[in-house]
Amino acid sequence: MKILVVDDFSTMRRIVKNLLRELGFTNLDEADDGQTAWPKLKAGDYDFLVTDWNMPGMTGIDLLKTVRATPETANMPVLLVTAESKREQIIEAAQAGVNGYIIKPFTAATLKEKIDKIFARSTT
Amino acid sequence: MQNGKERQEFLAKAKQLVANIEANDDMAAAELLSSMSHEREESLFKEVGQLTRQLHDNLAAFSLEGQLNNLTDKGIPDAKERLNHVIDMTNEAANTTLNAIDEVLPVTAELQESSDQLLKKWTKFVGRELSLTEFKVMSGEISKFLEDSCKNTKFVHAKANEIVLAQGFQDLTGQIIKKVITLVQDVEYSLVDLVRIAGSADQPKTEVNTAKGVLEGPIVPGIEVEGAVNSQDEVDDLLSSLGF
Repeated sequence: MKILVVDDFSTMRRIVKNLLRELGFTNLDEADDGQTAWPKLKAGDYDFLVTDWNMPGMTGIDLLKTVRATPETANMPVLLVTAESKREQIIEAAQAGVNGYIIKPFTAATLKEKIDKIFARSTT
Repeated sequence: MQNGKERQEFLAKAKQLVANIEANDDMAAAELLSSMSHEREESLFKEVGQLTRQLHDNLAAFSLEGQLNNLTDKGIPDAKERLNHVIDMTNEAANTTLNAIDEVLPVTAELQESSDQLLKKWTKFVGRELSLTEFKVMSGEISKFLEDSCKNTKFVHAKANEIVLAQGFQDLTGQIIKKVITLVQDVEYSLVDLVRIAGSADQPKTEVNTAKGVLEGPIVPGIEVEGAVNSQDEVDDLLSSLGF
């Protein structure tokens, strides 16, 4: 499975990639905001997107909306990993079609649980 | 004297004054002088009044629509909370990391010590210098060493993951500090506006940085964000209430 990790902070990208590697995912790529992520998503055969919300250039929510609005990527599972904790934002993400929402700081167990849930659902 | 007409009138009055004095009409001269100085006072008062009103309006507009009040009432105390939280987070991350290393070092030291001991015996064994009794002892030690290695490397691995996760502070404190930088800029712009108002009575230019839809960033203890959840569990509950 090919996964794209998007966050403007490089330490957080490393952390998420590290945790994903721990969970057995080895085909990992990264981008530092929605603007650099989108061309990769459009061109590459990614199976899963893990993105932050608050990023300069293009935010995670806009990236999610773009992914959903484009037929080639519309069905890609998307997990938001963000410090944004307002209810209206969680609802906005849900309405935009997010598959999971994790607030920072998070634990390895939370990441595993959400990913398990996303893929258990998409395979049934 | 602002315009030609006023100037003419002033000149006429001045000539009249000279005429009165020349004609020894002291009474009329005194009266004229008094009325002239009264007029000057009146226009001066009018001007001062206008300036006062303008300054008052501008300051009122500034403090109501601008954000200096907001900054001093809320922004600066919030920034203090935020920066204190940054200290707490960096402190916590450093402690988590150092604690994990404190736990890992004795384990690796023990592994190294056992490896050294075993290697010495193994070298003797390869050189056929080991007695059967010594071999039996070594064999037991090897079993124990392998068991310990499995357990200890798992432990070290788990601690390494703890250290990795602890580095999340960099992202979260970075977001908080960015917010404080924005606040400092807002204060700077507001002060520039204040200086401009005091100098030339211009309208304030500051735009209040509290538009709807602004991202709040990490949760900071002591700062209430309206409508924010407090834990991953609350996120999960909210999403499941939405059919997730």
